[in-house]
Amino acid sequence: MLAVTETPLAAPAPVGDGNLVLDLLTGLRPESVPLWAVMATSALIAVGLAVALISLIAMFSTWMERKVAGHIQCRYGPMHVGWHGWLQPIADGVKLLLKEDIIPKGADKVLFVLSPAIVLASLLGAMAALALSPNFFFADIDLGVFFILAMTSTTTIGVVMAGWASNSKWSLYGSMREAAQVIAYEVPLGISLMVPLIVAGTFNLREASAAQGGWYGMHWFVFQNPFMLPAFLLFFTAVLAETKRAPFDLPESESELVSGFLTEYSGIRWSFFFMEEYAAMFLYSAVGAFFFFGGFESPFTWAVAQMAPHTIDLGETIGTLKLLGEGSLLHNLVAVATIVVKAFAGVFLMMWVRWSLPRIRIDQVMTLGYKYLTPLSMVCVLGAALFELAWIRFFGGAS
Amino acid sequence: MAQTAPDSKQGASPSMSLDEARVLPSGEREFMLDVRTQDMELNMGPQHPATHGVMRILLRVDGEIVTGAQPHLGYLHRCAEKIGENVEWLQYLPYTDRYDYLSSMNNNLGYSMAVEALMTGLEIPRRAQMLRIICAELNRIGSHLIAYGTYGLDIGAFTPFFYAFREREWMMALFEKICGARLTYSYIRIGGVFNDAPPGWLGEVERFCDVFEQKWVEYYDLLMENHIFVKRTADVGVISREMALDFGLTGPMLRGSGVDWDLRRDMPYSLYGEIWKDGAFKIPVARGEKGSLGDCWDRTWVRVMEMMESIKIVRWCLAHIEPGPIIGDVPKVLRVPTGEAYVGIENPRGELGHYVVSDGGKVAIRVRVRGPSFVNVAVTEALMTGTLLSDAVAIVGSTDVVIGETDR
Amino acid sequence: MNATAKYAKNVWDGLKSSLVGMQITGKYLLQKPITVQYPLERLPIPNRYRGIHYLEQEKCINCLACARACPIDCIEMDAVRHGKELEWVSFTLDYQKCMFCELCVYPCPKDCIHMGTEFAFVSYDRSEFKHDLLSFKGMAREAKIRMLEAEEKKKRKEAAKAAGQEVADEPESDADAEAES
Ligand code: SF4
Ligand code: SF4
Repeated sequence: MLAVTETPLAAPAPVGDGNLVLDLLTGLRPESVPLWAVMATSALIAVGLAVALISLIAMFSTWMERKVAGHIQCRYGPMHVGWHGWLQPIADGVKLLLKEDIIPKGADKVLFVLSPAIVLASLLGAMAALALSPNFFFADIDLGVFFILAMTSTTTIGVVMAGWASNSKWSLYGSMREAAQVIAYEVPLGISLMVPLIVAGTFNLREASAAQGGWYGMHWFVFQNPFMLPAFLLFFTAVLAETKRAPFDLPESESELVSGFLTEYSGIRWSFFFMEEYAAMFLYSAVGAFFFFGGFESPFTWAVAQMAPHTIDLGETIGTLKLLGEGSLLHNLVAVATIVVKAFAGVFLMMWVRWSLPRIRIDQVMTLGYKYLTPLSMVCVLGAALFELAWIRFFGGAS
Repeated sequence: MAQTAPDSKQGASPSMSLDEARVLPSGEREFMLDVRTQDMELNMGPQHPATHGVMRILLRVDGEIVTGAQPHLGYLHRCAEKIGENVEWLQYLPYTDRYDYLSSMNNNLGYSMAVEALMTGLEIPRRAQMLRIICAELNRIGSHLIAYGTYGLDIGAFTPFFYAFREREWMMALFEKICGARLTYSYIRIGGVFNDAPPGWLGEVERFCDVFEQKWVEYYDLLMENHIFVKRTADVGVISREMALDFGLTGPMLRGSGVDWDLRRDMPYSLYGEIWKDGAFKIPVARGEKGSLGDCWDRTWVRVMEMMESIKIVRWCLAHIEPGPIIGDVPKVLRVPTGEAYVGIENPRGELGHYVVSDGGKVAIRVRVRGPSFVNVAVTEALMTGTLLSDAVAIVGSTDVVIGETDR
Repeated sequence: MNATAKYAKNVWDGLKSSLVGMQITGKYLLQKPITVQYPLERLPIPNRYRGIHYLEQEKCINCLACARACPIDCIEMDAVRHGKELEWVSFTLDYQKCMFCELCVYPCPKDCIHMGTEFAFVSYDRSEFKHDLLSFKGMAREAKIRMLEAEEKKKRKEAAKAAGQEVADEPESDADAEAES
């Protein structure tokens, strides 16, 4: 449900400050329809919105990936469907939908069909904790990051299932590698995120973002602590491994495992895995933006928040609408734009890395995870904590 | 630890019980769990992204570890040698293009020289020799570019491949101008070359050399110096000096193992002896810079360095080329004097030998081709055992096989 | 090198070489691509290009030299001879077999078979790859006239022979004038 805040669900609340969908539905509800039905409907609408969001992100990301890859390699990428091929993802989507859905003869049919669903569902769950602006979000979870990390690592189960169910040796290799890799990299991922968490003092995405609002919207965590930049590098590397992006794309490494766990998938089922990959990239980039690069905060957001408040009245059902100032419509829109731009900048960085570097070998992946990233991130956490302590001790108050 | 029945032990998987620990040279003790699993047979190829064509490697794997490998050849067999016994001397030329389709010019050269060796009294004009060397060396660059690009692809770097193809495209455009084809040139013929260089062509080759020298630095930085690439290839697939000689490896595979042997210098043909005496080029020999001598990195390094040497040879030829005839006195209906000849030349992949036998007729009695890829690929079996699956791909890539040549 | 230094060097090397690689790719990201958008724009094709053959049918004398030179025998021709003139039935080149080696071009005594710059040759049916190079079937108009002239001449000659007379050269020059006009 877009826009849930501190106000209780039942109480009528102004737009941008409460649950718009639920309010509208409650307002329009005939007496015979029970309240739970209304809530269920609004939940369904929220799920629909999340799915739409994921597919939009995936579509844009695939287009962007092709363009980035193309231009890095001195070519254009898609050019013919729409302006510079921007409609290509839609054409591809149609193609994938119309493709024959192949289930191999020896496959475990139930698991084979189930695994793309699990992969996508766990990502949808993770999406729920993502805040799009100070007042637009699906669910305000206090343990937001924790929830996101937990849900996204559930996708591994789907991948392992896919590999097993495909009844293909290459698929099995892919899924085994995926499992090993995710286990190895969850640790440094979590630990490197601890650094900003120490500074922020909260797991909540919105609160972490709000803590970076000073300095004209540039009081980002990266600038607050000398250990933040190395921590970000570690986080970024771990994210590459988590999202199976090159140089850690071993589960689907093309030249070794044909296509890894995706070998036997085709059509729409294959595209589910694909959507998951891109949505996970976006999600992790957004998390990185929230905890290292200011979240919603930028000079623009700050400037809008400083404007004199201005509200207009929209009648009884909806209430008043804040246009300018803190927490207003414009503020939220700028915040959405900020976080989307930051997240896609992260996605772009991942693509750039992918098209520049060779692939790492599986034992090196493990070495990198256990011998390099994990200890280094622990050092970062220790250093950051000591730095914060020292700051409080010598200057009083947080940095 | 429970002992499994001895007959379930397959392959060379080293396994021992927990208490018998192996002591490594470094003094550490290595423990291995006594879990014996059945090895899995894995068919890499004939349709696999890493086999560079239709080679099939039958792998026996224990998890990620390869315990046995067996390359199977013959999927691209086209009876090239038998065809040589059925068509006229000149007519066989287009078929030589097709065994190592990435270095057709060199194949043409090898075959032509083998036939010329039988034709006593045939003098090949100097300009034809120059054009031959320019084309052969440009083709060597193109072939090594593919080796470099596809090896990057095997290791998982996509972009070097495209950069390599960008320059190769230019090289092919040059060939297109001089002989009209982009891959199967049939340009070097018995007695000389088919066409003279069109006006302005030599200047364009010069420009290509200038640009290529700049781009080459990028190739080196982008892949050869990359830490991941070094880690993936150094100390992987090590071929020792002795092993390289035992397997009869030639070309970059041999020089990658530190053996200083190049037919262009050691058994000079065409004008190479003169060019070498002029000091125009060097023979890059691997020194085991990033790992042990003879690993995959060294082989790739030799190829990448050779591109630069080829540029130097081309430049020497451009500086010394003079106008003149482009083909010697070859009769229209070619009858080759009775005899037999073997001529080996330095192909981008190693020694390409042609053994021809003539009975004085229009058709050869026997044409035998010693394809370097065929000999070089044999070593993969010995190298792969005990490596990781990813290393197996890296090893096949580093041999730079062209399946058209292994199978002919 | 002790272990710690090695560890630090590994981290440093990994970071540095990745950044060098990304710098190179980033440079190309901002440059204009070199792709040629094929159906919309085309690269110039050099005139030596070995594409689909074309035949200067008027010059061809059906000597079969090209067919003999071809390593895979993909040239087949059929013509009926009327004295010196040819009535063309077919001159086919099988592009399923042809390997564009240009060996058929060199031995031609009249220099009349060439390789063109056309290369895109697509078909739904294999039989269409057996391409007929003839620009017309049968005989050229001039050839026909020449043939008729020759026949007439021959007839006259015979008639003259029968009459025991020698034929003057006049009719021949007449025929030439006609052919030129
Ligand atoms: S180009 Fe070669 S293969 Fe084709 S018809 Fe001519 S001689 Fe035969
Ligand atoms: S060689 Fe020339 S003249 Fe003879 S048949 Fe062929 S095209 Fe005609």
